[in-house]
Amino acid sequence: MKGKTALSERQVEVAAGTVVVTVDHVNLDYHKEKEPLPVLTDVSLTAVKDQLVAITGPSGCGKSTLLRIISGLVKPTSGRVRVLDSEVKGPRDDISIVFQNFVLLPWRTALENVLFGLSSRKDLTDEQKNRKAESALEIAGLQGFESVYPGELSGGMKQRVGVARALAGDPRVMLLDEPFSSLDDLTAERLRREMHTLLISPQTSVQSVILVSHNVEEIIELADKVIVLSSRPAHVVGELKVDLPRPRNKKSDEFFQWVDRVYSLLS
Amino acid sequence: MAEPHRPLPTALIMPGNVRGGQVISLVEITGSIGGKVDAPKLADEMGADIAVLLPVLDAAEMLGLVRTEKGDVHLTELGLKFQKTSKNKLKMLKDRIAGIEPFRTALELASKGRPITASQVADSLNEIGLKWHYQPEMNESLIRTLLIHWAIYAGLLRYDGKSGKFQKA
Repeated sequence: MKGKTALSERQVEVAAGTVVVTVDHVNLDYHKEKEPLPVLTDVSLTAVKDQLVAITGPSGCGKSTLLRIISGLVKPTSGRVRVLDSEVKGPRDDISIVFQNFVLLPWRTALENVLFGLSSRKDLTDEQKNRKAESALEIAGLQGFESVYPGELSGGMKQRVGVARALAGDPRVMLLDEPFSSLDDLTAERLRREMHTLLISPQTSVQSVILVSHNVEEIIELADKVIVLSSRPAHVVGELKVDLPRPRNKKSDEFFQWVDRVYSLLS
Repeated sequence: MAEPHRPLPTALIMPGNVRGGQVISLVEITGSIGGKVDAPKLADEMGADIAVLLPVLDAAEMLGLVRTEKGDVHLTELGLKFQKTSKNKLKMLKDRIAGIEPFRTALELASKGRPITASQVADSLNEIGLKWHYQPEMNESLIRTLLIHWAIYAGLLRYDGKSGKFQKA
């Protein structure tokens, strides 16, 4: 019954022409001594325009693997992923990913790290790349830090460089893989508060954001929609639309009710 | 004849381990729970140990954003404005930051027009007995970090990582 409701909602989204990302009956098997080891089973989800979708589930269930499938870094065994009208068949410029660890080159400055993300863009001149990188650093709150090396930046600032690098290529889809989990509580809290308005804003090209996280409070603070996965082999056990107004009050009863709803699906 | 020493600092001194982002979080969280909170509860709300909170609180008080009274933290009028602005919050405090060490000395040295290093700032502050660490290398490193994390954000200085030099913005 639940499946039917979700499907009809999806059909409405498709009909409205607002769907940016479609994950359509995706399966992934690993092979152990020629025996298939299912990791993801029949996973479907959508992200519509200006929506932040969070994917959660037990540790090791395959959340990050699903994100890598959406990014084109991992090929599913069956099923497909579409961004707008085209199928994702490999990594592409309109999908960016921010990882848990900062993955910055320590011998390059902040600007050079952002530029590195644009190095494969043959359609841009060096001057255009520079302008894009500087503008992305500014959007990420790092104006003035262009010439600073990663070793001189705090964890939060390093993650901002990662966000700037992801934004510089003008992606339509931004994928975030536990982006706050390497940060101390205070820094994570601050970056989290900024992230929704930073990414889904007219200043950026981003149309949809997909976040993978195991932190349920973080998810309710940020997400418009939550996809809950089961343990391995992972399948979707729940899809919730979070209609709390923003900015969200983490102390409110409504907030706790939403947190409880996600926990009840996880347990 | 040796140059006379500058007067000993009654100056405000930024704690070496406090970053602008921590002060911003402190003010935003205090604001979100009504503008007045006791320090242990604030530490709890921030998910920080009280030992981590105290220097952040000192910095926020130095910047005029909060005042503490009998263990309670109150947002000042400036703190309320600071909490509500969505613009670059540290730029709003530019003038106040410029009056705190090591930023005050760095700006004074940089105002002579030449790019300066953290080492020069450390030497100058050393003359008036101001250090953040007893080991010279660590002291210089802490001063460089403070300058990067506060003075660049506030738009007071520019930094070139390749030469390790700061210039007036």
